[in-house]
Amino acid sequence: MWFKRKSVLGKVLLLLVMLLVVMGGLTCLGCVRGLQPIGWSGTVVSGDTLFVGSREGRLVAVDTADDSWQWSEPIQTAGSASILGCSACAAGQTGVAIYGTPAVSEDLGLAYIAGYNGKVYAFSSDSLQKDWIYPVDDSLSPIVGGAVAASGKLYFGCSDKKLYALDAENGYFEWKFETGDKIWSTPAVADGTVYFGSFDKKLYALDADTGEEKWDEPFETEGAIVSTPLVYNDTVYFGSFDRHVYAVDAADGSLKWRSEVEGGNWFWASPVVYDGVIYAACLDGKVYILDAEDGHEVADALDGGSPISSSPVLVDSSLVFASQEGVIYAVDTDSNKLKALADLEIDVYSPLGVNDGIIYIHTQDLTLHRVDVNTGARLMDISLESSE
Amino acid sequence: MINVLIVLSHFLFDNFGLTIIVLTIIIRGAMYPLTVKQLRASRAMQEMQPKIAELQKKYGKDKRKLGEERMKLMKETGVSPLGCMIPMLIQLPVWIALYQSIIMVLAAAPEGLLNLSGYLYSWPMVYSLLPLNSNFLWLNLSSPDVLYILPILVGGTMWVQQKMVTPVNADPKQQTQSQLMLWMMPLMFAFFTLSFPSGLALYWVASNIISIVIQYFVGGWGGLVPSAAGRPDSRDSKYKKRIALEETTAKDADIDADIVASDSRQGGGLGYEESGDKRQDRGGGYSPSLREARRQSRRRKSHRPKRK
Repeated sequence: MWFKRKSVLGKVLLLLVMLLVVMGGLTCLGCVRGLQPIGWSGTVVSGDTLFVGSREGRLVAVDTADDSWQWSEPIQTAGSASILGCSACAAGQTGVAIYGTPAVSEDLGLAYIAGYNGKVYAFSSDSLQKDWIYPVDDSLSPIVGGAVAASGKLYFGCSDKKLYALDAENGYFEWKFETGDKIWSTPAVADGTVYFGSFDKKLYALDADTGEEKWDEPFETEGAIVSTPLVYNDTVYFGSFDRHVYAVDAADGSLKWRSEVEGGNWFWASPVVYDGVIYAACLDGKVYILDAEDGHEVADALDGGSPISSSPVLVDSSLVFASQEGVIYAVDTDSNKLKALADLEIDVYSPLGVNDGIIYIHTQDLTLHRVDVNTGARLMDISLESSE
Repeated sequence: MINVLIVLSHFLFDNFGLTIIVLTIIIRGAMYPLTVKQLRASRAMQEMQPKIAELQKKYGKDKRKLGEERMKLMKETGVSPLGCMIPMLIQLPVWIALYQSIIMVLAAAPEGLLNLSGYLYSWPMVYSLLPLNSNFLWLNLSSPDVLYILPILVGGTMWVQQKMVTPVNADPKQQTQSQLMLWMMPLMFAFFTLSFPSGLALYWVASNIISIVIQYFVGGWGGLVPSAAGRPDSRDSKYKKRIALEETTAKDADIDADIVASDSRQGGGLGYEESGDKRQDRGGGYSPSLREARRQSRRRKSHRPKRK
């Protein structure tokens, strides 16, 4: 009798285990295929401190002088977290994903991060103590683009199709502007105007104080706009999902040029300008080199070997960019020659940061990699893992 | 399939929910002959289970004999385990591809959208169409259903589908296992739907409903309506005939023994079959009636004119 019972119980347990294995596999499969947000926050340097949002959901401050670091309390997940969490598959992720590069207001002594949980947090840039949260009780839709602090205000776009402006000091709501689709682009603020792109394929220009539209109508492309616009010489430069780079008059939103050359994929990273030349990195793995005046190709596109989603940076007269496969390249802007600096052997998605000739690359394994641009030497990595 | 999904959504009013449903219907429709084959085969296998159990009871100790009888049974009923497996193995990669494509095109997280860019063909419209509109009815297809309607639909439709294919078992142990499966799978999928993007759940619901419809046309309501579950199938008529024959033979064997012996002594020279007498099947071969049927079938084949 006991054996019979044991046999039935065993079968039931076996069945349960099988089901759990199947469903666990299904879930993990979903995880690795892009169901679970992980985050790719870039780095920003203010004074001697570098700020980055870690995949633990913390704001981490690294002292660039002595490489010591401290971290904030982790930001909390809003109510709609996955029941399974998928955390087991995501190699130990517990915090809220942070995609945007932190913003810093040196006047107010605050550092800001926007979370995928639909909240914006302000921390004291010295102590990393939480100063304010917006919204306090509720939460918005996921925030993917970064926040920008300018003229006492904090601007950020949200997946609820709206661009928000808050009082940077206390987080009070100032104004919001609704577009036709999600906003993942980090806004650019120049001359009292906020420029940003939306999934509705349009580029908007708003008055930074009031949130009113500056152009008669937004500038429309044929693809979604995710890249942060670059404002240079009264012109707004940006790439689109329609595989073209655009130059738009900053004053009235009229088209100056559309690149003749068509990328092999989306333009995700923000363009960079140096000495009248636009460098636009594309997900087809190439960096296109265009004349800022008329958009024609100044030199052949440079091949990074794998998609480039991480925004490049300028270090003196060198353009530095990272391919998704983790190879760091430097481009001599005089000759437009490409040189591989280092191979991190890990995927790179986050925008590059720079300080004193050192490139900072944040990767999804909670590591801050460092490469000296002049020598190409790799400096010791900094682990962003908290000991809590 | 990813690119097909994207382009199809353009022609379906940029509605990704509708695209998921339509593509699921198209793919399941294309797989219809295989699905029917598989359903019929698995149904036949289920119906054979009591007979196999009977054989196990009868020949449990003699493994070789049991194997032979099992093979014989399968030949007579025309059922083969491969009949279930092969159509399923062919369909499985297609279903997985559809499932994965939906996950990728949904691009629920930013990493997903970035990853998706690597799978796009250089068709002009594909790049501009993305990211797709993820709103459908009350749902945001890249997030779980906040109204909890989809988990109920996923669980409900899966239960109905499972119930239709679950055989009614006389064995209480097997019945318990069947009941466990019947409830466990729908409950687990409903539970997972609570945290999965609703686009995936929509695919499950659409797929379950299509399966229910196909199963209805193939085998009726099955286990859903108890009276339909035990309906006999014409497929096993050969087997039943043979069993009936064997049982009758077993009863008559003793009575006929003397008569057969005297007949043969009288020098008629007739064998068992030619004399028309019944004898007990000693195993290893087909019963006389079946043997005769096979012989006739072979004769018919041999009379066919040969092509030059």
